[in-house]
Amino acid sequence: MGEENLKRRKGEDKGREDRQSIQSHEPQTMNLQKQANLFLFPFGPCVGLISGICMIVGTIIGSGIFVSPKSVLANVEAVGPCLTIWAACGVLATLGALCFAELGTMITKSGGEYPYLMEAFGPIPAFLFSWTSLLVTKPSSFAIICLSFAEYASAPFYPGCDPPQAVIKCLAAAAIVVITIVNSLSVKLGSYLQNFLTAAKMIIVAVIIVSGIVLLAQGKTDNFKDSFKGSKISVSSISLAFYNGLWAYDGWNQLNYITEELKNPYRNLPLSIIIGIPLVTVCYVLINVSYFTVMTSTELLQSQAVAVTFGDRVLYPASWIVPLFVVFSTLGSANGTCFTAGRLVYVAGREGHVLKILSYISVKHLTPAPAIIFYGIIAIIYIIPGDIDSLINYFSFAVWIFYGLTVLALIVMRFTRKELKRPIKVPIIIPVIVTLVSILLVLAPIISAPELAYLYCTLFILSGLIVYALFVHLKFSWAQKISKPITMHLQMLLEVVPEEEVTE
Amino acid sequence: TVEVEARSLPMELSEKGGVQNNGFVQNEDFEDKETATSSQEETPKTCSVDVDPVAVEETVLKPYAGMPKEVLLQFSSQACYRVTREILFWLVIAGSMVLVCATIAIIALSPKCLDWWQAGPIYQIYPRSFKDSNMDGNGDLKGIQEKLDHITYLNIKTIWITSFFKSPLKDLGYGAEDFYDIDPIFGSMTDFENLIAAIHDKGLKVIMDLIPNHTSDKHRWFQLSRNRTGKYTDYYIWQDCRQAAGSVIPPNNWVSVFGNSSWQFDEVRKQCYFHQFGKEQPDLNFRNPAVQQEIRDIIKFWLGKGVDGFSFGTVKFLLEATHLRDEPPVNKSQNGENIRAYSQLYHDYTTTQVGLHDIIRSFRHTMNEFSREPGRYRFMGSDDDEKEDIEATMMYYGTTFIQEADFPFNFNLINMKNLSGNSIFEAVNSWMKNMPAGKWPNWAVGSPNAARISTRIGKEYINVMNMLLLTLPGTPVTYYGEEIGMENIASENVSEEHVDSGPVVATLPEKSPMQWDGRGNAGFTEGNSSWLPVNSNYESVNVEIQSSWSNSTLGLYRALTLLRSSELPLNRGWMCHVWSDSDVFVFVRELDGLHRAFMMVLNFGHQSTTDLQAVVPSLPSEAVIRLSTHFSNAGEVVNTKLIKTEMGEGLVLEYKTAKPVHTMEAFQGKCFVAEKACYSKALNLLYVNC
Repeated sequence: MGEENLKRRKGEDKGREDRQSIQSHEPQTMNLQKQANLFLFPFGPCVGLISGICMIVGTIIGSGIFVSPKSVLANVEAVGPCLTIWAACGVLATLGALCFAELGTMITKSGGEYPYLMEAFGPIPAFLFSWTSLLVTKPSSFAIICLSFAEYASAPFYPGCDPPQAVIKCLAAAAIVVITIVNSLSVKLGSYLQNFLTAAKMIIVAVIIVSGIVLLAQGKTDNFKDSFKGSKISVSSISLAFYNGLWAYDGWNQLNYITEELKNPYRNLPLSIIIGIPLVTVCYVLINVSYFTVMTSTELLQSQAVAVTFGDRVLYPASWIVPLFVVFSTLGSANGTCFTAGRLVYVAGREGHVLKILSYISVKHLTPAPAIIFYGIIAIIYIIPGDIDSLINYFSFAVWIFYGLTVLALIVMRFTRKELKRPIKVPIIIPVIVTLVSILLVLAPIISAPELAYLYCTLFILSGLIVYALFVHLKFSWAQKISKPITMHLQMLLEVVPEEEVTE
Repeated sequence: TVEVEARSLPMELSEKGGVQNNGFVQNEDFEDKETATSSQEETPKTCSVDVDPVAVEETVLKPYAGMPKEVLLQFSSQACYRVTREILFWLVIAGSMVLVCATIAIIALSPKCLDWWQAGPIYQIYPRSFKDSNMDGNGDLKGIQEKLDHITYLNIKTIWITSFFKSPLKDLGYGAEDFYDIDPIFGSMTDFENLIAAIHDKGLKVIMDLIPNHTSDKHRWFQLSRNRTGKYTDYYIWQDCRQAAGSVIPPNNWVSVFGNSSWQFDEVRKQCYFHQFGKEQPDLNFRNPAVQQEIRDIIKFWLGKGVDGFSFGTVKFLLEATHLRDEPPVNKSQNGENIRAYSQLYHDYTTTQVGLHDIIRSFRHTMNEFSREPGRYRFMGSDDDEKEDIEATMMYYGTTFIQEADFPFNFNLINMKNLSGNSIFEAVNSWMKNMPAGKWPNWAVGSPNAARISTRIGKEYINVMNMLLLTLPGTPVTYYGEEIGMENIASENVSEEHVDSGPVVATLPEKSPMQWDGRGNAGFTEGNSSWLPVNSNYESVNVEIQSSWSNSTLGLYRALTLLRSSELPLNRGWMCHVWSDSDVFVFVRELDGLHRAFMMVLNFGHQSTTDLQAVVPSLPSEAVIRLSTHFSNAGEVVNTKLIKTEMGEGLVLEYKTAKPVHTMEAFQGKCFVAEKACYSKALNLLYVNC
């Protein structure tokens, strides 16, 4: 009876709607798209080329280049190879991103790797991807970025020693809560925050590059003489240097998370990639050059926070701006992570791979509030225990497994899905190279320092299979019985509705 | 203002969101109307939907999972959801406020953290005797680099390398020929740079000696000065001296530390130059600003190389009175002619002159320019053995307004005349009582200028001395080899051939090569011989054998440094003197807020039994031995009424108390604390103002 009433009611609604607004189904979908655009892409409705490039540059440049650019240098030990590797990593990231561009224009669905894995290998690898990234990689990287934000922000108050854990954790939790609130309350506010923080990031990048160029012009080129002397070049050292260098470029696939919202994606997606990533590469190389103008490679390796040392030597007495802007930059990365992470849950929820409610949208604020709150909660759980950094580091190899799988998907689909329209078609050699590099990057840390923890990580990823079998494949009725009332009450509490409902 | 902003957010935002999405706004308006119309008939009932839906016959609509917006909006505004939502929202806002406030409060209440030079012991290396890497029998910088693992093994954080400047004196480099270069026997500048990098890679810090008072007579400055070349003319202290009957009559009665007149006639310049030490070590003229600038440039040079600090040696000799009056003799009746020894005069005009501390402060100022980078504070110690005048020593701590040395090195425990519980107490107390408030103490039991502990006070006391050193508050300084209990070599083994200048022979026996293992030359060198003979006891006293044996001096040293770094009361807690007699010295270390306290019972005399409960009535009747110089005793429970210590035995007792000694009336004035902080158990952190 209730059902019938409901149907009647819905019919009535439709009728009234039709009466009220002359446009019916068609514009309704447009509304949806507009709504989706609103939360999926915060830089305003025009997701053009410029904002695409901004997004790439803004998300790739994190705090790493300011704090620990030494990981590359530590492996090759000389200035010349170090700069070469930074540039080469940029090329590699561009290649990877081009593969993603082909995938993105072939399968125009948001959600990054998820839809491609789904298309090429079916639901199980796709589920494992979302299982791993939803529960571990994404929330933990959100947590870690917030933790490092807290560390940088509190470090000036504790000269000469580490800030107490209580301070770091309180501050990190506060950052998570604030970012979660801001992003679930308003897409606009979140994007204003993001724009401001990205601007701050670009300012400090510009300051470092310009002062480096000025120093070079003044003739401080001592550290570039014989720049290949004393380098330590072997297969293992170079692959480890690449491994570390590529981390600084992580985020090159960000644009694929929002393919659906790109304006003219066939043109803008590849163009943004071709312009954006080399731009980042140039920034990285120039920042490194700036560092080398004032620091020898030994000093750079010994510095706790390289940009801060640079600021102390070059910008004094205004050296305080460096730590301040590094803090902004870190906060920006955290905000950005929260943002893309939200989208991933949303897509997985849409496919029914996680609780449906996670894909719902707030009625009042038009944000994917459940997804964001879910991330916030998981991230806070991650910062509570003592030392998660190490555990999470082990999981980082999982990221490359999925990158490799995704690019492999590209190759596979060249044969299995010939009929698909490919507006961009990269030479087959590119995905082959990227796949090989991914394999290398997955194996490199395991071979160089084999640990049992990698096995646990693999087991965790595979344990997703059990969950998949129980809840997604078999769809146990008792699970439904529990989830339904919870969904209902949460829906009413948070005022969220499924996106699809509007389209019906 | 943050709060106001946060409050205004939700309203503002929902407005904006609404405006953006026109389609939705229309719907919303429509929905509102609908709910408005329907609410009249439904509202009284809907609130019970959740509670008892069946009872309401006329319910046309039920909330269900995955309901669309139209359905949702009819129910979500019910009081039970709306109020919960509001409460949750404000709770989260309040929670984030609380988190931010808590962070600010903790930061504001945090005590200044211990800097690297406060956090761990300093290990003093005499580079010529530490480790030889090139088989020439002389220790070198590469050798130190090879043995850095030994230093980390000792849980030590700071290395102090004594002078290694290029110097013609084969001994100590006490008179540098070139402040910008390294003596070839120690290696090259590249070796030094590699050593610094290796030290920093291990997370260690390095400080070096700088003796600004004088140079070698081979120094370029001196050569230019004796020729009266330009600005160098006044780099040294030159005076006309009368010549009569073929002998030189010095300008006054001043004598050098090594004896005889401190004036030396120079044939080239036909004038006398002043030297506080040997005649090969002419004193620089610190009244000349150019000389001060030279020294500051030297400081900058080495700090630029990455050195983390300096120990400034013999600074009290920097300035001399310009009036050149005779110094008063100790024995008034003594004839001026017969005064030859340094101890026969009061050195009122040659030491600690007015203006000295200004020079040292200017050094500090230069070092502060290099201290700005986070974690790169440059340490400054002053190394002046003021045996008599503790107040003059304390001057180097500076004042609350003007920073000077971080600490003057403390030689009280080395200068002790005789050994007993009481004399130890006096040595400790005189430093703690005289140290300016807010400053950081330090202790040394060995140095390159004093006989080794085992030789000075006896082998049986080496462990208890190390225990004292590492449990007192402040920075402990360990001279290389003291961690394994090395002894002086017999002085007849130290022949003239080892040195050019006589007076330093006396200090050579405590500089014998480090005893690494039981192989030839104690593993110090692969070469055939070492510059000083290795002590013959190296087969039983060496690092290798002692590290395999937990009851060794080395084992105890490591256990003590580990205890020190892991236990807050030992790190920065109170120190209260509890008891001392001719045999034992007893003190406690405790921290406000921490119920765990440590009591050290150290025997510097003969077997003795102490009733500690009689001294501290609130002491629990039982305490656990956390560490003992007799390793096997660790973990035993002792009765605090009856604590027995053997000769040279030391105990670290651990007990729990709610009434720490430093709060007791009876111990007022017997307790000291530097960098006071209190512990909060709930938050596991330290805070100030308690």
